[in-house]
Amino acid sequence: MMQSRVFPCLCLASLLLAGCATGPGGPVYVPAEKAPPPPQTDTSEPETPSAAEQQQRRQQQAEEPERSAPRYQDDSEDMSPAAQSLVNRADALLAQGEARAAIGQLERAQRISPRSGKIYFKLAAAYRSIDELGRAEQFALKGLSLSGSNTALQRTGWMLLADIRRADGNVAGAEKAEARAAEL
Amino acid sequence: MAKSSPKRRGSGRSKKKHGKSTAGSGFRARVWRLIWRVGLVGVVILAGWTVYLDAIVTSKFEGRRWEVPSRVYARPLELYDGAAVTTSGLSQELSLLGYAPVRSANEPGTYSRAGRRFEVHTRGFRFSDGQEPQRRLRFEIVQDRVGDFRVVSGGSTPVVRLDPVQIGGIYPAHKEDRVLIQLEDMPDYFSTALLATEDRDFFDHWGVAPLSIARAMWANIQAGRVVQGGSTLTQQLVKNLYLTREQTLVRKGNEALMALLLELHYEKSAILETYLNEVYLGQAGQRAVHGFGLASQFYFGEHFRDLDLHEVALLVAIIKGPSYYDPRRHPQRALDRRNLVLDLIAETGKVPASDIQKARQRDLDVVGKPSYTDSRYPAYLDLVRRHLAREYKDEDLQSEGLRIFTTLNPEIQRATESAVEQTLNQLEGGRTDKKLESAAVVTARDSGEVLALVGGRDPQFAGFNRAVDARRPVGSLIKPFIYLTALSQPDRYTLITPIKDQPFSLVFDDGRRWEPENYDKQSHGVVPLHQALSRSYNLATVRVGLDVGIDAVIETLQTLGVGQPIQSYPSMLLGAVNLSPVDVASLYQSLATSGFNTPLRTIREVTTSGGETLTRYGLNVDQVVDPAAVHLVQYAMQEVMQEGTGRSAYRFLSSDLGLAGKTGTTNDGRDSWFAGFSGDLVTVTWVGRDDNGPTALTGATGALPVWSNVMSQIPQYGFSPIVPAEVQYHWVNSEKQALTDESCSNARFVPFIAGSEPTDTINCSGDFTRRLRSWFEGLF
Repeated sequence: MMQSRVFPCLCLASLLLAGCATGPGGPVYVPAEKAPPPPQTDTSEPETPSAAEQQQRRQQQAEEPERSAPRYQDDSEDMSPAAQSLVNRADALLAQGEARAAIGQLERAQRISPRSGKIYFKLAAAYRSIDELGRAEQFALKGLSLSGSNTALQRTGWMLLADIRRADGNVAGAEKAEARAAEL
Repeated sequence: MAKSSPKRRGSGRSKKKHGKSTAGSGFRARVWRLIWRVGLVGVVILAGWTVYLDAIVTSKFEGRRWEVPSRVYARPLELYDGAAVTTSGLSQELSLLGYAPVRSANEPGTYSRAGRRFEVHTRGFRFSDGQEPQRRLRFEIVQDRVGDFRVVSGGSTPVVRLDPVQIGGIYPAHKEDRVLIQLEDMPDYFSTALLATEDRDFFDHWGVAPLSIARAMWANIQAGRVVQGGSTLTQQLVKNLYLTREQTLVRKGNEALMALLLELHYEKSAILETYLNEVYLGQAGQRAVHGFGLASQFYFGEHFRDLDLHEVALLVAIIKGPSYYDPRRHPQRALDRRNLVLDLIAETGKVPASDIQKARQRDLDVVGKPSYTDSRYPAYLDLVRRHLAREYKDEDLQSEGLRIFTTLNPEIQRATESAVEQTLNQLEGGRTDKKLESAAVVTARDSGEVLALVGGRDPQFAGFNRAVDARRPVGSLIKPFIYLTALSQPDRYTLITPIKDQPFSLVFDDGRRWEPENYDKQSHGVVPLHQALSRSYNLATVRVGLDVGIDAVIETLQTLGVGQPIQSYPSMLLGAVNLSPVDVASLYQSLATSGFNTPLRTIREVTTSGGETLTRYGLNVDQVVDPAAVHLVQYAMQEVMQEGTGRSAYRFLSSDLGLAGKTGTTNDGRDSWFAGFSGDLVTVTWVGRDDNGPTALTGATGALPVWSNVMSQIPQYGFSPIVPAEVQYHWVNSEKQALTDESCSNARFVPFIAGSEPTDTINCSGDFTRRLRSWFEGLF
């Protein structure tokens, strides 16, 4: 009898866990809520949950499956149209040789779409154009860290990194980056 | 010689012929001689005095270099489709900027609102990358985001910047405030209005205008009181620049003399331009408003050159008595005088009558008094000053009229201040015997920009800045860095590595013993590493820390930016490291950005008053630790919020935020910490007492409610880190350290650095392939 109750519960829990644990996909925008009600100021609460709390928590998890697995994503994030317009402006400035002005526009774009790998590659290219190679390399790495599973974007990043490293005299590093690009 | 003889002879004859009259004329002559001598002495003294005054006039005028204060601005609000803006945040921003709510936003500096639809007529502003023109915008705010964004006039663009809110100034000692202008900045009809009202003959006189004085005296005699002044603009300027306000004849004489001298040396245009920048036009708190450049902003929120005729007339009207005709305090009085000025302008015939008529119909159009005070953001400005002090001298900041563009977000600052105040009141529950204090820092996750800073529960108090100066032991906030050090060695540690959370003691060379304990005095046996972090188990953490080495942990902290020396004692593994909230924010920034050190910034740029860039503080990133290891720590920090010590945050916050964080508590609740991040923000809060006394709080019950309160008020993206190429997720049974099927009830989807995942497999019913393999291996 007991077993017959536990089994469906376990199945349900496992299904819920499986559902959420595949990762949430893209980023989620969360509007602000009202300020929270007075916090529970049970000052005797230890930092670690008691067994009863853990039990309660487990029940809560079953009821609220979205909380039971850390979030992550494989995809890179897109740039917003507003950020794209600033990147276009930066491209034009860069074409006129005004790299500093372009960087200013790219930083505005970065504030609007801070998780878009493409913007960091643009920043890397801008710094590359004025021979600030150390900074350029770091922006290329940052862009790569946000490229996710987008192989085209990754290839752009690795090739850019190779170019920057070669310009910096780091031939081995450049070849390594090229090899990574070739693997894609 | 020949010519002088007759004269002497004549004189001798006269003595002989007219004895009595000779005596009388001798007296007169003596008097005349005396007068002559006194006169001569007087002329010499006057000449000397004139030379002296001339030296004053020329040296001061030529050396005249106003001390123009530096202005400190918040970040400009950028509006575009999708921008995260709340209606309350936008309202606050517009209010801080002095935008007037109107029915139809036809003028710059006004806005209208109908439900969720807004129309904003922006003011122009000169940024270092160019002029942002005045524009008329329409948009709506739905679910805290801008939608249906359109530029109605002023040049189409997908992104518009509002003018930035001025959040402070760095003023010279004499508390004068001005914005320098040049003659070419004068709006239409300004010189006509000024000269018609204050000095009709300015371009014709020599500094003093006797006819004007006579005319004024006659008018005053007729009125029985002072109704008209006879001073020329030059005299007014002399009075302002060189003299006191006392009404004495000597001062009047000096004024006239100096006015003449000024005219002698300088062109009319130079005198007029100096006048425009010097004239006193009002009072902003303790600071005197000098010149039309600042007065235009102070009264109308507009640049001088953009003023309309009715505004021009009002500014000219105010000159006579900025306090008496204060348009905010005495609007009717100011309106009457403005219309009088319009009449005087009309008399010149230089302005079409229809324009005068239209201007008379206008309201005063004075904006609400700029609502900033120097004490609004003292803690934030304190940090700005510290950053500025690295490159700028105080005297330059007080005199060069520099413009300092900071990263402060007024809405997030407001939310943080209110969260601190509300939550502390609630935590104290009316008890004032043990007064709690707090500090908070909010930064933009990927740029390191400091968006808000609270230095204490009274945000207006400009005293001890706890966010920067209160260095306190961080307690368990140190744990993620211990585990980061461990997880950077994937051959030794993974998220499911079993860790003993069991008591032990360390015996030092001098015989002392150290026996760490868990917060609840319990031990939890053998637990997987991710759980040891999410549940903040001390015993397990110290074991890991000792295993990887205290020095390795210190090296991790220093790589991530801790500049101060850290003592290599085992107690540092439990957070016996003193850091300020800003230091902690800097450290956690690297965890939030997957191992990129992103220096915190409060300043984006410093420019000259003309907009030329002097220093840029651009975005900088530097990959300092393995992003794969950081990803694993981020996983465990998300677990902290879902299952561990930070879980109470989700009572108030949406689970979509995917938050990651860590609690910290020191002995007897002396320090309650919380540091955590979402997709957009890194926020650190501290609660404790200034006397370092005990509280009944933990990280979860003190700092976390403040943190949750802040985060609940700010629209933002959830945290959803991108999986690094070197990381793979696997379904595991973390207690058995084995791969498992995702359908198993105890299956957990856990990230591993490639190659460190378990090789054993276990199925739901508990069959071990490991046993099987061992058995096979045993055979051979």
